[in-house]
Amino acid sequence: MKLSRRFLLELLFPPPPLRPPGAKDERAFLSLCIRCNRCVAACPYGTLKPAPLGAGVGAGTPLVEAREVPCYLCMACPPVCPTGALEPITDKRAVRMGVAVVDQLTCYAHQGILCRTCVDECPLEGEAIFQDQQLRPVVTEKCVGCGVCEKVCPVAEPAIVVKPRGRG
Amino acid sequence: MRGKRRWTPLRRAVQGAVALLYLLLPWLNRGGFRAVSGNLASLKLGPVDLVEPAAGVSALLASKSWSWGLALGMALPLLLALALGPVFCSWVCPWGLFSEALDSFKLRVLKLRSSWSAQGYRRLFWVRLAVLFAFLAGSWALAVPLVAWLAPPRLLTALPQELFYLRVPPTLTGTLLLLWLAAELLGRRLVCRALCPVGSLWNLLRTPWTLAVRFQPPLCVDPQLAPCHLHCPWGIDPRRMGRFAGCTNCLRCVEGCPSGALQARPAAPRLPVHPHAPGSGAKPAS
Repeated sequence: MKLSRRFLLELLFPPPPLRPPGAKDERAFLSLCIRCNRCVAACPYGTLKPAPLGAGVGAGTPLVEAREVPCYLCMACPPVCPTGALEPITDKRAVRMGVAVVDQLTCYAHQGILCRTCVDECPLEGEAIFQDQQLRPVVTEKCVGCGVCEKVCPVAEPAIVVKPRGRG
Repeated sequence: MRGKRRWTPLRRAVQGAVALLYLLLPWLNRGGFRAVSGNLASLKLGPVDLVEPAAGVSALLASKSWSWGLALGMALPLLLALALGPVFCSWVCPWGLFSEALDSFKLRVLKLRSSWSAQGYRRLFWVRLAVLFAFLAGSWALAVPLVAWLAPPRLLTALPQELFYLRVPPTLTGTLLLLWLAAELLGRRLVCRALCPVGSLWNLLRTPWTLAVRFQPPLCVDPQLAPCHLHCPWGIDPRRMGRFAGCTNCLRCVEGCPSGALQARPAAPRLPVHPHAPGSGAKPAS
């Protein structure tokens, strides 16, 4: 009984996906987003898409799948939101989509192979991610979670992945 | 008496244009045309933000907070509703167009001799109110704007968007639309008349000064013929309807009325009722 209730809750409210820049915290976002798809239409890169089946009550709300298309922080979507589910921020450094996490077991740099793709491609280069003295990528607290690193990582199963904000 | 205005062709043109717009919008948006975007939950028209009131109210209840942006977006549609009545249902909503087409298909092609099952308008009003209350209470409890998510107008206009933006079939939206379709098939125009929370709210937004079809009994030439009653796509007798009967101002009855006894006007006509005027003895058929 208890197990099935938790299962139902998990089905209706699965862990939050990566949200567009400017998104309020997941609970407020889910309550304000009226699924009008205006942010999706505003995105020039095709990054945003309506959440498909599996998003529970969040079906139809916008999300980012960084390995497919990351967010390039053009900041076109926050101002078009009619409900304030996305706050109208314009500074890409104020974005808080999530934070990138490096998997040390698969990251090439951690195996001693020279690779700095994520460091080179980061839109906040030098601020969000840098190479330490062993030339391994280190993510700082400035990381906004745009997912460009996850997109460009040359490892088949990306060794750097954005953990969406609000996920424990 | 006076030149009769044919409203139905105009209404079909508006409904068709709206449906076509939403069908093409994802392609237009991707092509760089961004002046208009959104679906029937919220529409951007140039610099103007429009938010469908039922969707907006459910978002306000779900978030349990006040948002000026949201309220401002709802203002114009609310004013439209207060001035012209629930024209959203009969002139704009693509589900309304689909529902009318389905009904006429059932009657004309399949020759189904079905009559309006629920002629008790009073009961229908309470069903509609209960549906709206359930949707809004659910939005509050789950903290999710259920009207915005589940109402047929948004689902139908989001379908082309999801077909375009998703790289997988829009399974959930498709399934929800099929559920609404199943409900629609249970009775004549059941979703539009009773189950749609958007229509329910728009129907509540009537004041005594809202544009409405008003009946002037003395002018009615033939209460027995009553083409108005037969033509109404909602099964309402416009001669006897109350303010919340569910009329959406499609004006079908007005254009079908041979005598001019039915007129759409903002306030009740003040007629000098002559005891000896022709037709004044005719009482509405009961």
